[in-house]
Amino acid sequence: MMALFRTEVVKQIRRPRTYVALGIAVLIPTIATIALKANPPTPQGGDEGLFALAPNSGILVAVAMLRFMSRFLLVLIAALFAGDAVAGEAGWGNLRYMLVRPVRRPRLLSAKLSVSALLALIATVLIVVTGLVAGGIAFGLSGVSVPFAALSQSAGQLLWNTVIATFYVAWSLAAVLSVGFFVSTLTDVPAGGVGAGIGLYIVSQILDSISSVGSIRYILPTHYLDAWNILFFGPGPNADMLRGVLLQVGYAVVFCGLAFWRFQRKDILS
Amino acid sequence: MTEAVISVSGLTKRFGEVLAVDSLDFSVAQGEVCGLLGPNGAGKTTTLRVLVGLVFADAGEARLLGHRVRPGDPDLNRVGIMIEESAFVPYLSGARNLRLWWESGGAPWANADVDTALSVAGLGNAIDRKVKTYSQGMKQRLGLARALLSRPDVLVLDEPTSGLDPGEMREVRQLLRRVSEQGATVLLSSHLLAEIEQVCSHAVVMDKGRLVAAGRVQELIGAEGSVYIEVSNVRRATTVLKKLAGVRRVVSEPPGLAVEIDGIKRSDIVAALVHARIGVETVTARHQLEDAFLGMVSASTASELAVGAQGKGAAEGGTTTRRSRLGEG
Repeated sequence: MMALFRTEVVKQIRRPRTYVALGIAVLIPTIATIALKANPPTPQGGDEGLFALAPNSGILVAVAMLRFMSRFLLVLIAALFAGDAVAGEAGWGNLRYMLVRPVRRPRLLSAKLSVSALLALIATVLIVVTGLVAGGIAFGLSGVSVPFAALSQSAGQLLWNTVIATFYVAWSLAAVLSVGFFVSTLTDVPAGGVGAGIGLYIVSQILDSISSVGSIRYILPTHYLDAWNILFFGPGPNADMLRGVLLQVGYAVVFCGLAFWRFQRKDILS
Repeated sequence: MTEAVISVSGLTKRFGEVLAVDSLDFSVAQGEVCGLLGPNGAGKTTTLRVLVGLVFADAGEARLLGHRVRPGDPDLNRVGIMIEESAFVPYLSGARNLRLWWESGGAPWANADVDTALSVAGLGNAIDRKVKTYSQGMKQRLGLARALLSRPDVLVLDEPTSGLDPGEMREVRQLLRRVSEQGATVLLSSHLLAEIEQVCSHAVVMDKGRLVAAGRVQELIGAEGSVYIEVSNVRRATTVLKKLAGVRRVVSEPPGLAVEIDGIKRSDIVAALVHARIGVETVTARHQLEDAFLGMVSASTASELAVGAQGKGAAEGGTTTRRSRLGEG
């Protein structure tokens, strides 16, 4: 299994697309930090509020970038890695050659899924680490106390909460990743898998914004996406965060299960 | 009797409404080089895919090395495979592709027959270039190299010389002969009938998913066609040959005779002439595999049409008819 995992890692880390995706994860926080330093925003509420608070501590730059990037770019990156995982290889015609090695299909699929998930995690961590480094250089890594924003934490607390938020956001990509991965096993066109992942996110966001949809909203994969804000502007981890984690577990189990079930029975014609 | 290394029995595979392979039966014994012949859509590639576990059969089975190959079967390490065109990870070098493919099976690179593979690939320094810069011929050679990495006991090759130039095609044919001489069994599909004729000891002819004929290539060629014979006495030879059953026509083509045959072996013709004390200087088979193949496939189609008509009659008359086969090995 490790040999297979290693070969999949090598394939991905030598791929220009991977460099571009991870490069964006580094570039955007860097540019944003430079912009914040050059042109500090005035404090305001809402999503803009985190950016406005960022000059108080470099740690908040990382937090603001995590929030900003989790809204679409991270989703795009996760969908790209997962949607392309099997379909990309099938599109090149190389999948059939992978499957005539003495390797069971579930093991190949496990290796591909693990590498996709690992890359999505790396992208998330890179955003935060870049935000911390750039923010630290620009504004220092101090604690903050901003009474009007109900934010008062030491540097240690901020860092710890940032770590939790990073893994929460990374795990929140599980639904997009598993749906993209499932569709990737059905098609030879990588865009199909990528589109499915992104499509799920967009549809979920739209439906979640319509209150008339009712309780169905609670099972939409993006419903608890921002639940981690409570780590910074509230008492700490709460039930919504737990629901968010469990909801993603459900999506991951269902769609990864479907992917494995389907792929084991699939005729490889590509 | 030699044990069958490849054995296909009652193999049937349907893709939706399309019946790709229909109750196919044939076998390949150890050390044989068997050609799988058939027009486009005959079901050759599907048969090969079932054989190596890429496609699941609806009925019947394909056995390789004595058992049905399932995905991930450990015995796949003993099989060199090339299905349709060679494909690789385009942004990696040829060498990296070979290594990653090999190592994905869990085997150390040191165990691979790299020297043979690289000599077959014959890519020189290009082996370190990205595959996306390769020509089709270079990819095909790299694909053959990949198939040989494990020193395979069986080679399953689908159109192995596709995209190669004549010199490279000859090298591949020589390679296949070499691996066969070393005891490996080869099953290859090809559209190039001359190639099958030159390389294969046996052939399986398919059309519309069904077996049309199977057997030794020489037998398939010799079943009908024509030969050109140069003899010591043309007039007497003409008389003798015209009396032979299985000779349709004898035409004088100085300095020899063109003999159209149907069902008689060339060796029997020569024996009859020698028995009549006529000297035989040369015997040349004019009928090549291409003619035999086209004859068999068109006869198969005609047979199918006849069965269709009979089937219609049967439906009306209450009898059933099974399509007849031209021959089975």
